[in-house]
Amino acid sequence: MTENKKRFIDPHIHVTSRTTDDYQAMREAGIVAIIEPAFWLGQPRTQVGAFQDYFSSLVGWERFRASQFGIRHYCAMGLNSKEANNEALAEQVMELLPLYVGKENVVAIGEIGYDDQTAAEDKYFRAQLELAKTVQLPVMIHTPHRDKKKGTSRSMDVCEEHGIDPNLVVIDHNNEETVQEVLDRGFWAAFTIYPHTKMGSERMVEIVRSYGPERLIVDSSADWGVSDPLSVPKTAALMEKQSIPDKHIQLVTYQNALTAYGQSGKMKEADWLEADPVDQRQLFEGNSVLRSQSPKVGYKSSDIVEN
Amino acid sequence: MDKLAEIANYLHAMLGRQSKADSIAWLEQQQSGISSDSPSGFYLAFSTASRFFDKAPLNVNRQDAARACELHPGFSPGHWNHLQAARTYLLLLYPHDNPDKWLATLDKLFETADLHEQEALYAALPLLPNPDLLKLRAAEGLRTNMTTVFDAVALHNSYPAEHLDEPAWNQLLLKAIFLQRPLYQIQGADHRANPTLAQALVEYTHERWAAGRTITPELWRFVGPFLQEKHSGDIQRVLIEGTPLEREAILLACNMSSLSTARQLLQDYPEIQAKIESGELNWEKVGKQSHSTAF
Repeated sequence: MTENKKRFIDPHIHVTSRTTDDYQAMREAGIVAIIEPAFWLGQPRTQVGAFQDYFSSLVGWERFRASQFGIRHYCAMGLNSKEANNEALAEQVMELLPLYVGKENVVAIGEIGYDDQTAAEDKYFRAQLELAKTVQLPVMIHTPHRDKKKGTSRSMDVCEEHGIDPNLVVIDHNNEETVQEVLDRGFWAAFTIYPHTKMGSERMVEIVRSYGPERLIVDSSADWGVSDPLSVPKTAALMEKQSIPDKHIQLVTYQNALTAYGQSGKMKEADWLEADPVDQRQLFEGNSVLRSQSPKVGYKSSDIVEN
Repeated sequence: MDKLAEIANYLHAMLGRQSKADSIAWLEQQQSGISSDSPSGFYLAFSTASRFFDKAPLNVNRQDAARACELHPGFSPGHWNHLQAARTYLLLLYPHDNPDKWLATLDKLFETADLHEQEALYAALPLLPNPDLLKLRAAEGLRTNMTTVFDAVALHNSYPAEHLDEPAWNQLLLKAIFLQRPLYQIQGADHRANPTLAQALVEYTHERWAAGRTITPELWRFVGPFLQEKHSGDIQRVLIEGTPLEREAILLACNMSSLSTARQLLQDYPEIQAKIESGELNWEKVGKQSHSTAF
């Protein structure tokens, strides 16, 4: 196995749903930073307190947990489209969001947008675009799985209507049918490498080959479903095998996400390049996630193994 | 000037010397927006302080450190960073004339705090108004799994020894040992030592030994004053099987005891006894040495 010094960012992953084995594998595969957008948890919440605790975990516990594996954790805050349909609850969540959007690791408002494309979804999508403008944060947009093409166009229409610079907006979960319009209109186009429902990595290679690396972003969206937290490094490895230039791979699996979300002013390469070496020692045998493992101290780039 | 305002001024002056002019200007602007009628401005300022202050350590000279101790015994900003000093400054500005309202705001701040905000909040506990209203909050902070947050409550912080009741205090010590934290950095610990804690620590020791594991030599500090005849086997075991540091620790514990067996054992090691009497060997030294080699 050759030494791999590549670094990756997974700018969309729901690590709350993942195990520590995943974190370890991610770090070993070269993932240095991740963004966890607020989303639903597989079943709808019924109390605003459930949102509060979830948001708190995204800025607290999960950030700490990731740091134990040498991964810098950022998040996007927002009310997702599915749960926007419970309007009474959605109102309370909207009141809660200002308490979180200013937190240190919140680099975007997201993931927001449409699911069924209902009136309630539209209402809260627009309200959160206004919030993004107020706090000057980028936006991460979830495009619907059903009626995707129309939903994607409509998401961009609404952003433009609210006067949001497309350069501040990442449109996620693209496919072959949506990518051209997203790029033409000046938005960032993200692709989720997620088996069966979204993109496969082989199709992704062809998209990078056809459209070039500018404004394209690869992510995993790994969550509680059958998904893969190593989608980004695996796709990079496949691109390398299929002769995509290194520079292009670096853009779509690292730099473009950093450029897009770095516009928040809260995500900088120095955050992980100049961080202390991974130090889990203080947790060894402690009441922590590392309860019965030997600590791994001092990851250096030479410790990173090829995926 | 009241004590809170004096501490706020102290932090402001120190930040003023060490931060950028526009960061200080931002901090000063926040004063006018902080009102208990509408805490949202306060919540926002507390969070967004991270855009204006970084986590570089506060530079505290000898004079600053002495002044800190005058302002509040045990207050040691030498362990703080710029961002948490700025956040503490904001906390001290928040109106506290209505304790119910004040507590509700504090609760919301704790409940929605991110990692570094929690650290700042817990470290500020001893300086805040109405400290007795925050006992349950402090105990809650000790239940955390985030080591840096636990440290903010437990280490270099005068609040636990000043305010926690005995069960919560004993939990602090037991959990600090469980998490392998440096016990010598816990303030007021000798003063709060008690026989219930000593008994729990001896039982913990037996449990660890039965599992073939080691214990921190710092533990004996809290057993020493309560040593009984039934512990002489434990003392002998450490003296015979322990590392040099463990032996020194158990003899330091014997030195805290009036039990004749313990005094007798101490006399069997005249060199160590001399080091104890001269002050060359003390608990801080044991703690420091144990934390530089234990892992």
